[in-house]
Amino acid sequence: MQPPAAVRRVLFTAVALALLYPLYGLFAPVGSWQWHGHHAFASLRVSFALTLVALAIVVLIGTPLAWSLKHASRKERTAFDAIILLSVLMPPLALGLLLALAFGPSTAIGRLLLSMNIPTSNSDASFIVTQMYASLGYYVIGATAAFEAVPADLEQSAALLGLKPWRIFRRITLPLARLGLAGALSLAWVRALGEFGAIMVTSYYPHGMPVQLWVNLQDSGLPAVLPLLVLFLATALPLPWILHLRMRRHRYA
Amino acid sequence: MLDCHIIKHRADFTVDVALRAGVHARLGIFGDSAAGKSTVLACLAGIETPDAGYIHWDGQRWYPPPCPLHQRRIGYLSQRERLFPHLTVEENVLFALDRRQRASEEVWITELRAGLGLDTLWKKPATTLSGGQVRRAALARSLCRRPPLVLLDEPFVGLDRPRIRSLCGVLCDWQARLGFTLLLVDHDPAVMRSLCETVIIMQHGRIASTCAARQLRADAQEPPEPACAD
Repeated sequence: MQPPAAVRRVLFTAVALALLYPLYGLFAPVGSWQWHGHHAFASLRVSFALTLVALAIVVLIGTPLAWSLKHASRKERTAFDAIILLSVLMPPLALGLLLALAFGPSTAIGRLLLSMNIPTSNSDASFIVTQMYASLGYYVIGATAAFEAVPADLEQSAALLGLKPWRIFRRITLPLARLGLAGALSLAWVRALGEFGAIMVTSYYPHGMPVQLWVNLQDSGLPAVLPLLVLFLATALPLPWILHLRMRRHRYA
Repeated sequence: MLDCHIIKHRADFTVDVALRAGVHARLGIFGDSAAGKSTVLACLAGIETPDAGYIHWDGQRWYPPPCPLHQRRIGYLSQRERLFPHLTVEENVLFALDRRQRASEEVWITELRAGLGLDTLWKKPATTLSGGQVRRAALARSLCRRPPLVLLDEPFVGLDRPRIRSLCGVLCDWQARLGFTLLLVDHDPAVMRSLCETVIIMQHGRIASTCAARQLRADAQEPPEPACAD
C-alpha cells in the first residue's frame, strides 16, 4: 500500500528542505568575505589537474577490470568484492596514514621510489596516488553494476552476428552501459576531488582545494573560507550532478 | 551438412536428439510445449552447451569443445529475440555488415526491407517498435549476411495470419534462392507445412516420429499460402 500523494509530497518537501538547508550556511553573517585569489586559483588548478590525471588512470584500470568482473566466477568475484569493499569502506584518515607508511622510506617500495627520485609524500605523484586509492573502488563498483545491467542476450545476439568480443564490447556493451559508467565516473570524481583526510596526511603540499579550505579556516577564519567554498562547489558539483540526473532520467524514461 | 547428436539434461527430462540435415534442407521441429525443441536450436546456436553428444556443420566441429558464437555462421532467431535498443531498425538490420558489405549487398538489403515490411520502420528507433515489428526486424537482421544455416524459433509469434502467410511465401522464396539450410521450431502445423519438407515430432526431449511436412495433421484453422515448391 502506498502513502497518499499529499503525505508523500509533504515528506519529500520536508526531507528536501533538510538536505538543502546546509547551503543556507553560505549566507551566514560571518563578516566581509576575504578573497585570496592567488591561493584560490592555485589550489583549484592543483585539484582539477591532478584529479583529472588520477581519474584517467582510474578509468583505464577500472573499466577493463569491471568488465572482466562481470565474467568472473562466483569465487573470484566474492574474493575481489571483499577487497574492493575494504578500499571503499576504509576511513580516509586511516587510508592516508596507511599510504604514508606503506610508501614511506621504511618500506622497500618507498625506498625504490625515492631512489628513482619519485617523492612519496607532498608531491603531485603522492596526490594522484592518494586520489586513485580513494576513488578506484567507487568507480569499479559502479562500472561493474553498469556492465552487469547490459542484458547478456544482446551480447549473445551480437556474437551470433559474427562480432568478436572486443567489437561486442565497443558496439553493444559500452553504449548500453555508458550512463552507468558516467554515474560511476561522477562518483569517483567527487570522491577524489573532495578527498581531505587522506590527502592531508600524504600530500599537504601542493594544496588542493579541500586542504586550502582548511588552511584558510585555520589562518583567517570563515570570511576567507566562504568565497573559496563557493568556487569549490561551483566547479566540483555541476559535472557529477548533471551526469547523475541524466542517468536517472534515462532509467525512469 | 548438419550432423548432430545433442544431449542436454533438464530438471525433469533429458533432451536426447540426433539430427541430420543436408545443405538446402528445410527441417521442422514440432511438438508440445517443453518438449525440448528450443533447447535443440539453442544448443546448435551455441547459446546453450550440450552435456554430451556432438555438433558438426559443414566440416566444422561446433561441439565438443564449444565453438565460439562468433565463429558459427548462422542466422538465429530465438523466441525472445530483442533488437539492440540504442540503434535504429536500419542499424540493427545492418549490424553485422561493414561499410563495404553494405554497399555490395544493397540489392539484398532492399529486398529484405520490402519483403519483411520494414520500409516505413527503417529509420525508427528500435525501442519504438511493437512486438510483431521487432520480430520482423530481428528476422531481417538474422538473414542479412546470408547465413548458410538459419535457425528460427517460432519466428511468427505476435504476427497476424495474413502477415504470416506473406512472410512464409517470402521465406520460401529466399530459402530457395539463397539455398540456406532451415531449421524451424513452431507450434503451428500450417507454418510447418508451408516452410518445411520434413518434420520431426518431439516428445519429452526425444524424437517420437518423423514425417513429411505435408502429412502433418492440420490443426491450424487456415493453412498459409503459398507453400514452398518441392
